[in-house]
Amino acid sequence: MRERRFALALFLPAFVLLVATTTLPLIYLLWSSSQRIDLTMPWMSGTAGLENYAKLGGDTRFWQSLKLTLIYTGTTVVLQVLIGLGLALLVLQVRAGQAILRIGAILPIVLAPVVAGLFWRSLVLAPDFGILDFVTRALGLGSYNWLGDPQLALVSVIAIHTWQWTPFAFLVLLASLAALPPDLYEAARLDRAGPWQRFRHITLPLIRPAIVIVVILRMVTALSAFAAIFAATGGGPGSATEILNLYAYRLSFTELNIGYGAAVAAVLLLITLSVAFFLFALRRAR
Amino acid sequence: MSAAVSLAGIVKRHGSVTALAGIDLDVAPGEFFSLLGPSGSGKTTMLRILAGLERADAGTVRMNGRDITALDPGERDVAMVFQSYALYPHMTVRDNIAFPLKMTGETPAAIERGVNEAASRVRIEHLLDRKPGQLSGGQQQRCALARAIVRKPALFLLDEPLSNLDAKLRIETRVELKRLQRALNVTAVYVTHDQEEALSLSDRLAVFMDGRIVQVGTPEEVFSRPATVEVAGFLGNPPMNLLPARLDDGYAMIEGVSLHLPALAVFGKREVMLGVRPSAVRLGAHGLPGTVTMCEALGEDFFVDLSVGERLVRAKLNGGERPAERSQVQVALDGRALHVFDRQSGARL
Amino acid sequence: MRTAVLLAIAIVMLVVWIFPVAWGLLTSFKTERDVLAYPPEVIFEPTLVNYHDVFFGGASIVPNLISSLIISGLTTALTMLFAIPAAYALARLDLPWKRATGFWVLATQMLPPVGLVIPYFLLLRKVGWTDTYQGLVLVYLTFALPFAIWLLVSYFEEIPREMEEAALLDRAGRLRALWHVILPQAKGGIAVTVIFVFLNSWNEFLFAVVLGGNTVRPVTVAMFNFISLEQTQWGRLAAAAMVGMAPVIALGLLAQQHIVKGLTVGAVKGGGRR
Repeated sequence: MRERRFALALFLPAFVLLVATTTLPLIYLLWSSSQRIDLTMPWMSGTAGLENYAKLGGDTRFWQSLKLTLIYTGTTVVLQVLIGLGLALLVLQVRAGQAILRIGAILPIVLAPVVAGLFWRSLVLAPDFGILDFVTRALGLGSYNWLGDPQLALVSVIAIHTWQWTPFAFLVLLASLAALPPDLYEAARLDRAGPWQRFRHITLPLIRPAIVIVVILRMVTALSAFAAIFAATGGGPGSATEILNLYAYRLSFTELNIGYGAAVAAVLLLITLSVAFFLFALRRAR
Repeated sequence: MSAAVSLAGIVKRHGSVTALAGIDLDVAPGEFFSLLGPSGSGKTTMLRILAGLERADAGTVRMNGRDITALDPGERDVAMVFQSYALYPHMTVRDNIAFPLKMTGETPAAIERGVNEAASRVRIEHLLDRKPGQLSGGQQQRCALARAIVRKPALFLLDEPLSNLDAKLRIETRVELKRLQRALNVTAVYVTHDQEEALSLSDRLAVFMDGRIVQVGTPEEVFSRPATVEVAGFLGNPPMNLLPARLDDGYAMIEGVSLHLPALAVFGKREVMLGVRPSAVRLGAHGLPGTVTMCEALGEDFFVDLSVGERLVRAKLNGGERPAERSQVQVALDGRALHVFDRQSGARL
Repeated sequence: MRTAVLLAIAIVMLVVWIFPVAWGLLTSFKTERDVLAYPPEVIFEPTLVNYHDVFFGGASIVPNLISSLIISGLTTALTMLFAIPAAYALARLDLPWKRATGFWVLATQMLPPVGLVIPYFLLLRKVGWTDTYQGLVLVYLTFALPFAIWLLVSYFEEIPREMEEAALLDRAGRLRALWHVILPQAKGGIAVTVIFVFLNSWNEFLFAVVLGGNTVRPVTVAMFNFISLEQTQWGRLAAAAMVGMAPVIALGLLAQQHIVKGLTVGAVKGGGRR
């Protein structure tokens, strides 16, 4: 019918562009991962079949990277939701507090992740003249090498990511909480429900959809986090903060072993899509 | 100019639900025709098919003999007033009304004339430079009307246009609507669930129930001779009382009490539903024993709820004494004022 | 009393969120010596030498600012050009396989950039489009387009369906209905989408660093000019970062309400990189 043709006419240009810019490159990615593309030794290039994927099995650096990815993603998302929800609940009744936080929330959101990483690295976490160092020494806690120590480096990048993205969780959850009808709470009060009970049985179930969405989006962002970590630690020290993203990058563009890097990227892609679909299915099921 | 509309065999399904199960209808030119029915009865779907906003799964729609079933909304000579008015919020009232004329490529002079004429017909000339958001409900409704009439359509469709207005405004606007339709001499099809509205406005009306038309006729016909039990129970305020009864050659067994109603002898022996309007109920010497459960005074009338056996009978008494609550009374039924329906089919006998 | 405590917590959080940028701003006015001073100085003799170098010095980031502007501007324009009709079709019209397509658009948003940058690197190299504007903008569309479509769909869905119906009955036809009736009502949503697409493009790093080069180098990459193996020019780095981020920070503060609204709408309907 006429409407259908009109609809297709409007949609197809974007569709074609999307296919060209996303689906085609992905197919090429998968193909590349089956190749041996080593730019340092170009004469070695050729088909490798599933060799790259088989290599992953025995690659400790890969498994370490996977583990780091899971820790990183899980920790930041949980922190973001907890802090964001906590803040939202705290200022729900205090309009001035909401206004203050809304202004403050804008800055981490608009800041380029790479700049966030640079600022934290150079100004806050730097040994000797970083602010954090100053504070810990002043409190008598001594001096720590936030970016040089492998464990602390992981903590640092988690902190940076959480710092940058908690405002998003805060804003969405605040909006969700503010949209709840007050009658429900009044009815609950009349039914003698205490604050914790009101939270558990009324608030939490009603904002569950919002929480789920926040979790999904933040997980996807955490899985593809790159710039901030790159700027702050570069993936180091060594491989201490080398999440899968960075591992794939380093393989492809630092060690120039693109075929293998493509394989790692493909694994990350699989994980991301699985997580996204799983969470969406969860959302739809309930 | 005004169109005769003819519908034949219209069927519409939404998935597994049948919204319209075979509609046949003829509307005469210049008629004010209502589609009356409860929510979900299919009347709005019917209107939208007339407008071309939905496509029927079967059947034909004709306007002045011409088959318009497959035509797009813009190709029929039809105008519609939506329940929500659907005014373009970013345009002034003037631009809203002018829009249909602009779209058909009229000259600016013709547009200006058309807008002013339409606006003055509904008396909103002073609001032309405002935006819909700045208008009251009643003013918005008139703006929607103006936009609809500005192109002088052959068919005028209205989808519950008064339902968003408050009670007093509704009654005032009702009168204006009829006056407008008469002045323009345009065929109007009007959808409503308010039976009072339909009865007062229409030249003729069709009662919709569950996707079918159960009765078509003038308001007097439909009101005084409802074709089925459902129609009977739908019309009137308060609606008709319906009592199951067993007729036996002039005697009626109602709630365990036998009444002698010679007027019903013609129906012989059968299971029926008797319908009696609240205004036809009298409290007298003989009849069904009942108890007054509640009595409301409204102006000159008393609305009395009576408990007769297991049933609730509503009476509208005019003048006389106010019946005391919990008093025992005899509910007198005039056999000639009764409506008799077959118990099984619900059809009028 | 309780309010006071809550406000105090809010202010603490505000400080935490603002702090890194505020400190960066402060640092950009310090001489290298002051930067390295310990304990860190809040009061010092401010200097404009960093900004001077960043603008007029050998490693001026002015060309990079222009680069960023071109890339972000082109990306935003192209994205809106394609996304608005597509989103309208998806939201309101009878598109075949609508649900599947909707899912697919959503899925393309979830792709990790590193998975795309590798094939892009290889493909652009083949075509000779690395370090070119057309190459980079094309790549930027991968994240801008699905995001814009998804956001716009949710805004289009907010407009009552009767608007098109009324317009059709007014003989407008589908195209004119979109132009005269729907788009004016979607202005707010379009504005929000433009802001976010521009923001995301300006702040992009991975694609820029891998696929750009000496000709096409936005500010996000240019900042690393001030970091080298031997030493980091902290003051200049801070100044460069402030200059580079000035446009998006300004945008953020000015369009604050739009951004907040956009986040919540986009999140509620599902999807969105930010």
